[in-house]
Amino acid sequence: MNLYTPHPVRVAEVIDETVDTRTLRLEFKDPAFAESFDFKAGQFGEYSVFGAGECTFCIASPPTRRGYIECSFKKVGKVTNAMRELEVGDTMGFRGPYGNHFPLDRMEGDNLLFIAGGIGLAPVRCVIWNALDLRDKFRDVTIVYGARSVGDLVYRRELEEWAGRDDVKLWQTVDPGGETPDWKGEVGFVPSVVEKAEPKAENTYAIICGPPIMIKFTLPVLIKLGFTKDRIFTTLENRMKCGLGKCGRCNIGPVYVCKDGPVFTAAQLEDLPPEF
Amino acid sequence: MQELVDLTSKLLQNGDVNVVIGYEEGPRGVRPVVAATPDDCRRLIFDHRAVHNLATYLSPRRKHLRVRGRAAVVLKGCDAAAVATLLRERQLKRDDVVLIGVRCGGVYRTTTAEGALSADNVADRCGGCALREPTLVDHLVGDLPPEPPTAGQRAARIAALEELSPAERFDYWRRSLADCVRCNACRAVCPLCVCERCVADKTDPQWIESSPHLRGNFSWHMARALHLAGRCVDCGECQRACPAGIPLTVINGKVGQVMGARFGFRPTDDPDAPAPIGTFDPDDSQEFIR
Amino acid sequence: MSNEQKYLSESEFDALVRELIASGKRVVAPVAAEDDLEPQADYRAVSDPAKIVLDGPLPRRSLKEFFLPATEALLRWRLKKGDVALDETEADYPETVVVGASPCDAAALPTVDRVMDWDYRDEPWFGRREATVVISRACPGRDSSCFCPVVGLAPDSTRGADVMLYPSGEDAGGYLVEVITERGAALVAAHSKHFQAPREPAGVARLREEARARVDGNSSARPDEIRRWLDKNFEHELWDRLAERCHGCGACAAVCPTCHCFDIVDEPEGGDSGTRRRNWDTCQAAVFTLHGSGHNPRETQNARFRQRVLHKFAIYPERFGEILCTGCGRCVRACPGGMDLPEILEELGRLATSSQSAGGTP
Repeated sequence: MNLYTPHPVRVAEVIDETVDTRTLRLEFKDPAFAESFDFKAGQFGEYSVFGAGECTFCIASPPTRRGYIECSFKKVGKVTNAMRELEVGDTMGFRGPYGNHFPLDRMEGDNLLFIAGGIGLAPVRCVIWNALDLRDKFRDVTIVYGARSVGDLVYRRELEEWAGRDDVKLWQTVDPGGETPDWKGEVGFVPSVVEKAEPKAENTYAIICGPPIMIKFTLPVLIKLGFTKDRIFTTLENRMKCGLGKCGRCNIGPVYVCKDGPVFTAAQLEDLPPEF
Repeated sequence: MQELVDLTSKLLQNGDVNVVIGYEEGPRGVRPVVAATPDDCRRLIFDHRAVHNLATYLSPRRKHLRVRGRAAVVLKGCDAAAVATLLRERQLKRDDVVLIGVRCGGVYRTTTAEGALSADNVADRCGGCALREPTLVDHLVGDLPPEPPTAGQRAARIAALEELSPAERFDYWRRSLADCVRCNACRAVCPLCVCERCVADKTDPQWIESSPHLRGNFSWHMARALHLAGRCVDCGECQRACPAGIPLTVINGKVGQVMGARFGFRPTDDPDAPAPIGTFDPDDSQEFIR
Repeated sequence: MSNEQKYLSESEFDALVRELIASGKRVVAPVAAEDDLEPQADYRAVSDPAKIVLDGPLPRRSLKEFFLPATEALLRWRLKKGDVALDETEADYPETVVVGASPCDAAALPTVDRVMDWDYRDEPWFGRREATVVISRACPGRDSSCFCPVVGLAPDSTRGADVMLYPSGEDAGGYLVEVITERGAALVAAHSKHFQAPREPAGVARLREEARARVDGNSSARPDEIRRWLDKNFEHELWDRLAERCHGCGACAAVCPTCHCFDIVDEPEGGDSGTRRRNWDTCQAAVFTLHGSGHNPRETQNARFRQRVLHKFAIYPERFGEILCTGCGRCVRACPGGMDLPEILEELGRLATSSQSAGGTP
C-alpha cells in the first residue's frame, strides 16, 4: 500500500463536547498495528471519512493511553460534516502520526503552565494527560483555560477532574457575558486571567494554544512574567492535504507546518514571515 | 497612441481615477498594465496585439485590484460588451469605473503575432464585428480602422462537427476534453465568471468532481458552457488561457449561435438590453418541453 | 564528454522506436498537436515513429504528467457492514521510454525527486520514475522566453537524461548518442543493432554552440543573489504590486515541469465504494490555502504569486539545494496576463544588487 493509505479505525465512542464540537474515540481495526502504534504529544494525523475525504487534526488523546486515539473537531466543512454523522461502530481511516512534538522529555523536572482557549484545548489536553500520567516527572502543573461561554467549554468532565485534583492548579474562565448564574470560575479574557494566576516563570515551560487573538495578547503577559520565548510552545495549524511535506500548501515561508511543526516555540514564531 | 496617453494622464492628474488599466508593450508581446501615474500612462498602447479582455479586471473577484481605488479601463467593443453584462447583472456600478473605448480594427489571435491582419491570424470573433465603435464609454479614442478580415476556422469547425453523428461528435469531445487538467484558467480569465464561490469549488454537496478525468471534465465544461449561455461575449480569453489547447470557443460559439437563433441574443454593449436568462417571453420556443 | 558514445541514423531511429513499441514498451514522444490553430506539440504515447516530431516546438505541457498524472487513483474503498476494504490501486507502472525529451523537462525529474523522497517516499512517483528511461534530445534554443542558463542549465544539459541525442546537423539527419546513465546503457545494449560505432558529425558542436548562443543573452539574473534578497524581503513594496495583471489562473503551474503541488479528494462511485484520488493543484488558486474557518493565510493574488517565486527560488533551494525551475519558459508563454518570470527575476536581481551596493548585509 502506498503512503497515502490510511489504517482503518473503528469509532469506539462519540462524545459531544459542546453544541458544535465533538470528540471521537477511535480504535485501530488491525490489532497488530494497534499494538505497535506509538506517537508523541503534539503530533497530528490525517483522519478520513471514506467518501468525504481527509482532514487534519492533532491527536487529542495522550500517548500514555494506549489502544485508541481521539480527535476533537468542529463542523466546518465536508469532512467534519461527515464525521458528525458517524456513530459508534462506524469505520474511518487514519494515517499518521506526522510532524514534530512537544519536547516533554526536556521539560521533566520543571513546572508546566498550560494555556488554552476554546477548542485549542485539544492539543494541550494531550500534553496535560501525558504529563499527569507521568506525574512524578514534573513539578507544578497549572492550567488556564478559557472559552467564549460556559457552553463552549470542551472536555467538561476532565475539567472537573483536574479541578478536583490537588496536584493541578486549574483556572477556568469565560468571556464577559458568557457566564451562567452558577458559574464558579473566572469571568474575563485568558490574558488577564494568566496575569491574575501569576505563574512563576522560573523553571517553567508554557504550552499555549487557542485563537490567534488570544495568543497575540497572552504572549506579552508571559514575557512580562519573565518567560523566555524559547520556553513558550504552541502548535500551529494550516491547511494540509498530505501531511508529508509534498502537497505544498502548509508552508509559512520556508517552514513546513507538517514537517517542521506543528509545534513551535514563540521564538521560532517570531522568525516566521507574517503569513499564517 | 498619444490621444490615449493624454486622456489617461489627465484622468489621473484630475483625480478622476486612481489607476488606469490598459495595454503596454511587455517584454514578449502586448500585455495588460495597471498605470498609476501620468508617467506610467506613457507606456499605454493599443494595436492588433491588444487581445486581452481587460473587463476581466473589473470583476468583483479581483480584490488585489479593487484596493487600488477607482479605475479607468481601456476597452474594445467586445470588451465593452462584457462590461455591459457585468452592469446588467449588478456586478459593477457604472459610476465606479471610467470606460475608455477604443475604435477597433480587429485583433490577432495571439499577443505576439506580427504583420498585416489576415484571415490566418485574426481572432475568430472579429469578422463582421458590430461593436467596433463601443457606445458604452465615457471616452472614445482613435480613428476607425478598416474592417478586419474574417477568420473562417472556427465556423468551419462548428459546421464540420454538426455534420458528424452524435457518436462521432461525442468522440471528438472525449478526445478534446481528455487533455483538460482542470487548472481552471478558463474560469479565472473569464470576465463573466464572477461567482465568489464557483459551483465547481463547492464540495458539500459536490456537484462537479474536481478530478480531471472524463466525468469531471465533461461536468465542468458543460456547467461552464451553460452558465455562460446568453452571457458570453465571445472574447475568447478562455481558449487563449487554456494550457491544453481545448477549443473552448467552439463550445462558446455554438452556444452563441443557439442563443441567437432561439432568443435573438447577440453580445451587445448596451447594459439595458434584456438578458435571455432573466427575461420571460411567452413566445419563447418551448418545444424542448415534452 | 567521457561517456560512451554511439551514432544513430535517422532510419535506425525509426527502427529503434518500432522495436521499443513492439517489445511492449510505452513510447512517449513529442507529436504535433492534432487540434489547434497554432503549430503546437504535445508529449503523447505514440504507436508510430512517423508521428514523432523531434524538431518541432517545445511541447505545450512538460513531461510531468507521465510521472505525476493530472489525476491518479491512490486507493479504492469498499464499505461493507461496518467495515472497510481498501484496495490498492494497480501499482503496475508501464515500462516507458521517453524519446526526444526536452532537456528542461528531463532536468526537472531529479529536482522533483527530492521532495518526493523527503523522509517519506512517494511510491507512485518513484514507481513511474523507475519504469521510465529518458532519451533527451539537445534543444535548439527556442525563443526569448527560454532562461535555462539562469538556473544553471543549458539547451544541451544532460541532467535527468539516461541517453542524450545530439542532432548531427547533416542533411541526412541522424544523431550523436551519448549514454549518460546505467539505465541508458542497458537500453542501448538491449537494442545495440540500431546503434553504430561512435563518430562525431561536424555539425554537432556548431548546433550546440548556436543553441547556447540563442538563449544565453535572454537574462542575466543571478539566482544566488536573488535568493539572498528573497530571504530578507518577504515584505517589500515589490510584492504589493507584482501580480496585478495575474489572473491567478494557474496555467503556469499546469505547464510547469517542476510544479508538483497536489490535492487529495474522495470520489464516491455508488453508495458504498469509491476512489481516493490525487489531482494537480496550484498555489495560485485562492482555495489552495483556505482554512475551514474562512481564514486564508494567502488572501491576495500578490501573496500567492510571492509564494510561487519564493517556493522556486528560495524555499526549495534552502530545503533541497536545488532551484525549483528549469528555465523552460512555459509559464511565460502560457500566461494569459503577461506575467513574465525572467523579467521578474531580472527585477529581483536589480533589487538584490542595489540593496548590496546600498550597504545591505550580503
